[in-house]
Amino acid sequence: MEDLGRIHQLIVHVMGRDLTFNLEVIVMTWIAITALLCFGFLAARKKSIIPGPVQVVGELFINFLYGLTEDALGEERAKKYAPMICALFMFLLLCNWLGIIPHLEEPTKDLNTPLSYGLMGFVLAHHAGIKAKGLKQYLKDYCEPIFIMAPLNIIGELAKVISISFRLFGNIMGGSIIILVVSYLTFNIITPPFLNAFFGAFVGTIQAFVFTMLTLVYIAVQVN
Amino acid sequence: MAYDVQTWVSVAALSGGGMAMGFGAIGAAIGEGYTAARANEAISRNPELSGDIFKTMLVGQAIAESASIFALVIAMMLLFTKFAAHILMVPVLLGAGLAMGMGAIGAGVGAGYPAGACCTGMARQPAMGGRLTTNMLIGSAVCQTPAIFALVVAFILLFTDFSQSPVSPTWAAILGAGISAGFGAIGSGLGGGLVAQASCEGIARQPLTATPVTNVMLLGQAVTQTTAIYALLVSFILMFKTFPATDLIAPPMALLAAGICMGIGAIGPAIGEGLAGQSAVAGIARNQEHVAELTRLMLVGQAVAESTGIYSLVIALILIFVV
Repeated sequence: MEDLGRIHQLIVHVMGRDLTFNLEVIVMTWIAITALLCFGFLAARKKSIIPGPVQVVGELFINFLYGLTEDALGEERAKKYAPMICALFMFLLLCNWLGIIPHLEEPTKDLNTPLSYGLMGFVLAHHAGIKAKGLKQYLKDYCEPIFIMAPLNIIGELAKVISISFRLFGNIMGGSIIILVVSYLTFNIITPPFLNAFFGAFVGTIQAFVFTMLTLVYIAVQVN
Repeated sequence: MAYDVQTWVSVAALSGGGMAMGFGAIGAAIGEGYTAARANEAISRNPELSGDIFKTMLVGQAIAESASIFALVIAMMLLFTKFAAHILMVPVLLGAGLAMGMGAIGAGVGAGYPAGACCTGMARQPAMGGRLTTNMLIGSAVCQTPAIFALVVAFILLFTDFSQSPVSPTWAAILGAGISAGFGAIGSGLGGGLVAQASCEGIARQPLTATPVTNVMLLGQAVTQTTAIYALLVSFILMFKTFPATDLIAPPMALLAAGICMGIGAIGPAIGEGLAGQSAVAGIARNQEHVAELTRLMLVGQAVAESTGIYSLVIALILIFVV
């Protein structure tokens, strides 16, 4: 139970300020990145018409996500954004699944990780919006229906970053707390595999997909 | 008659446990009853499938009950743990009980809707049984998210050490955090259930649209949860911000009001967004050529419905940071 709220930190003093690095999250993120790179390498190593098992999985992911991007953004923009969407989904999926393995933690359990990907999506969406509509029309859209509503529209846009990142963070952290507490209460008998299967694998997959879909939709809303 | 702090802490633990389980029992029972009713209807329509429908009903009810099980866990912890005799434990225990009790209502009712629709759908379209069950599981798992948020807040309240904080504004902040997370979860659970119900009905009506229907369902449910996330944010700020000690009555009341404002303000928009998502998903099942238009209209409508939730968020933040 002492695990609850335990954070490995590296605090560096730079110019009178404290920089806090969350070591565990950095290591776990690198594990997820390495796993994803290995998967990519294995999937693309022997490309053939009759694909091997890893290539099939890779193709499934890409086909599915490419199709989704094309539906939302149209053929032209899909070419540009689909690689980012595919990478985002697969990375988040691996991150969320990492907690199933003992001694590893989900990087998404730390608010910093979802928040940075939320901000990335926000910047991408607004960049796409400015490019598609032009700066004038983009700014004008904030004054809908009347210009007095502009502050609330801006807060609404910023709230999107908060909602998308807290959704992922809350689900993954909530799941890991539930796994921890319920396993402790049942003396680690029988329940942990089922809890991990539900909160780790199932909820993790859904939330990775929801995060990716929302990023995609935010871009689509800005573009159209 | 004056009681010592230990007595007050015990009183708070007992009443918190009672509230957690009492309120927490409301939603799941309604949801499960709804599922059973729809299962009966389904069996009367297609008696040969009674075995499959019965199994689906049990699975759906089990998921609808999970919110209540969270409440049971919290109630058990409140009743059987020995808490430190500190005056701030009183709002902590009451807040944790209130958060989990209220937070379980929406998710329980909401998860019952897709389970019921899945039973009906099975009777109508037996070939799609597997796909319907998967969709129902996804939909009701997402409905549980607000209850999970409430559970997280309850756990954080119980396991954080508040003994160093000044009593005067902190008690209100803790109670406000519990109220915000608890009430804020009601609407989102219910609204998410409405969207998931429409998706199960839609797949049974037109099996070819299963993929877009599931995708838009997830999107609609995710947007429906937005106000519950605002409530989570407000309760996090209330729990983790350090407030200066004060003897005045206004600052604690402002913090309590912030929790109430965000918690209750989150109920309406979430149900409204759920309604928007419900009809968008139903529309996609009928007319799959127009997924893009329907999705866009759903998102715009939900954004407008959400604006009152954003007003609540703004007022809650003003109450916390300005007043």
